[in-house]
Amino acid sequence: MTLNIILIGFLAATFLMVIAKRITALVRTFRIQSIFLFLYTLYMGLCQQHLELFVVCGLVFILKVVVIPLVLLRIMRRINVEEDLGLLINPQLSLVIALIFAYLSYLFAHNAMGLPYSQALIAFIASMTVVCIGFFLMVGRMKALGQVIGLLVMENAIFLAASVIAGGMPFFVEIALFFDIFVFIVIVEVFVYKVNRLFTHIDTSKMQSLKG
Amino acid sequence: MLVALIIIVPVFLMVVSLFVRKIRPLGLINAAGYAGACVAGVMLLKVFLAGGCVPISLWGWIYIDSLSVFFLITTIAVTFAASVYSIGYIRLEIENGEISFRKAGSYFQLFNLFSFTMFIVPLLNNVALVWIAIEMTTLVSAFLVGFHNVKESIEAAWKYIIICSVGITFALLGIIFFYYTSSNDANVRSLEWASMLSGSGMFDPKIVRIALIFILVGYGTKAGLAPMHNWLPDAHSQALSPVSGLLSGVLLKISLYAILRFVILANFSVGYAYSARLFIFFGLVSLAVAGAFILVQKDLKRLLAYSSVENMGLISLGFGFGPFGGIAAGLLQVFNHAVTKALIFFCAGNAVQAYRSNNMNMMRGLIKAMPFTGASMFLGLFALVGMPPFSIFISKLCILVSAFQGGYHIIAAVMLILIAFAFAGLVYHISRIVLGSPPQALPCHKESLSAKLAFLFLGVFIVGFGVMIPQGFLDLLLSCQRLILGQ
Repeated sequence: MTLNIILIGFLAATFLMVIAKRITALVRTFRIQSIFLFLYTLYMGLCQQHLELFVVCGLVFILKVVVIPLVLLRIMRRINVEEDLGLLINPQLSLVIALIFAYLSYLFAHNAMGLPYSQALIAFIASMTVVCIGFFLMVGRMKALGQVIGLLVMENAIFLAASVIAGGMPFFVEIALFFDIFVFIVIVEVFVYKVNRLFTHIDTSKMQSLKG
Repeated sequence: MLVALIIIVPVFLMVVSLFVRKIRPLGLINAAGYAGACVAGVMLLKVFLAGGCVPISLWGWIYIDSLSVFFLITTIAVTFAASVYSIGYIRLEIENGEISFRKAGSYFQLFNLFSFTMFIVPLLNNVALVWIAIEMTTLVSAFLVGFHNVKESIEAAWKYIIICSVGITFALLGIIFFYYTSSNDANVRSLEWASMLSGSGMFDPKIVRIALIFILVGYGTKAGLAPMHNWLPDAHSQALSPVSGLLSGVLLKISLYAILRFVILANFSVGYAYSARLFIFFGLVSLAVAGAFILVQKDLKRLLAYSSVENMGLISLGFGFGPFGGIAAGLLQVFNHAVTKALIFFCAGNAVQAYRSNNMNMMRGLIKAMPFTGASMFLGLFALVGMPPFSIFISKLCILVSAFQGGYHIIAAVMLILIAFAFAGLVYHISRIVLGSPPQALPCHKESLSAKLAFLFLGVFIVGFGVMIPQGFLDLLLSCQRLILGQ
């Protein structure tokens, strides 16, 4: 029951991201999504009473709920560009596509992977849906930060998938993954500033000097 | 011991580059360090072969088998050449005013960090750590791609980070599927090669099939297989030339190494034939895409980048014909392509510095302007397109032979036609650069000694392996082939 509520929250946050039109809205919904991921790991920690799970849970909170959104919002403040996310596909159609992803994920998990019907199956379908949506956000949003957030969404979903189907990765791998995401976001920050300084915008659809 | 030495070299050089301010000594120290790594690599190969290619585990983190040794020595050889070439290249970049003194220092730091991340990939024991190391190679080399800090290079670096990170995220999903079936069906709750391999017979074939597609698409993005290759020509053309050589020569192969690991894991549940079909598909697509783009290129380094896509396609096809000797041929092609492409990228670097442009229409008469570079480039060209007596001729021939032995007649015919396109494009474009008379305004240019030494070093492999492949190296390749086929 609790798990289902958390999953619904996770999915709902993701659907909010699909219809977000402004970058800051996207960052805030990303934070909401990460909070649900944090609740999920917390719930798992409480169920299994492993110290390692609590450490992972704390790291999720620090990194994904606090640090990454703060960094993204700071980038927005510093580069001072217009907030518009540059949607290639309008919110309504995006939402329909997101629903189609959910159905395809169901088919994928149930038929292709052949997972047995269980709580884990539902959670796995939810996470696969979010992986697809994250990819969709990367492709369907023109601003550089939209792509970055899309990637982080995919990462969140994969974290959830690993946790539901395999009971989480080994502890030190999780730590290393957090380190990787941290480095990724730091480097992305550097490059967003560079892009903004040279192009005076962060619209990747207008970056076309390299062709063929 | 040797392994520790190899890993410590880039770390040590990285620290040195933080403190040494002068560029020339820094470059020399760098080259000397990688020369040491080269010697250690060769000794490791000898020790390993003398021990009968038995896998070695060290400290719980490191696992070395034939495949690791092969990819490690390929990486070290090319990195050494790049470090030698860097000495003269960076000095000239500073003289030309392209980069400042301060930036030259940071070049060496990034170079060493980059080679460190590449050195550890073949050595790590844990699939997830390999994944992280490969992601780190992307993040570090992005700075080297965007080094010039101009619009084009930053655009290339951005594309590179984003596309490769997405690709590798899919690979992570593939790893999780492998982990799922390994912990669920085989009861191995571990991500270490050896323990996963021991349980790989019990993996669920359904899930392994899906996981392998994710792995191939994910790491294939980084390995430059079409149709996920979009980042590659941009990144290769914008990076500094020594780095282009490294990207094309080693980075793509490092990713291929990760794919091969999972192919081995998949062998015992879905069989090699399944992986072979995937390899053939991606191989043919890569050849077709690269062939088309090679013909219409205007930019020299982009041309070479597409030739890398073509070669990755060929290697992939070689693995596709695996059971018939194609794997050894493909791996031989990995090594040959690494050294040849590094050579020709370094030559291109000299040419770009002399003509101050990447545009091939501006470049004429390279052999008159810079005889040594021009001659090396010509040799490199014919080596690259696979003329005898150079080494790529041998590996291409072996791939073809394995195709016919496996009865893939139509695929082999298509492959030959597509290679012919690439052949025509490369020979046409590069011979126009090398021959002819140089433009009047071209300032007199002397090639640096370090560049010549790097060319000679790579040339020894290109010519030497064409004439005779050392027995030890051949043993290593065959041992890799047995490993990959699970025999």
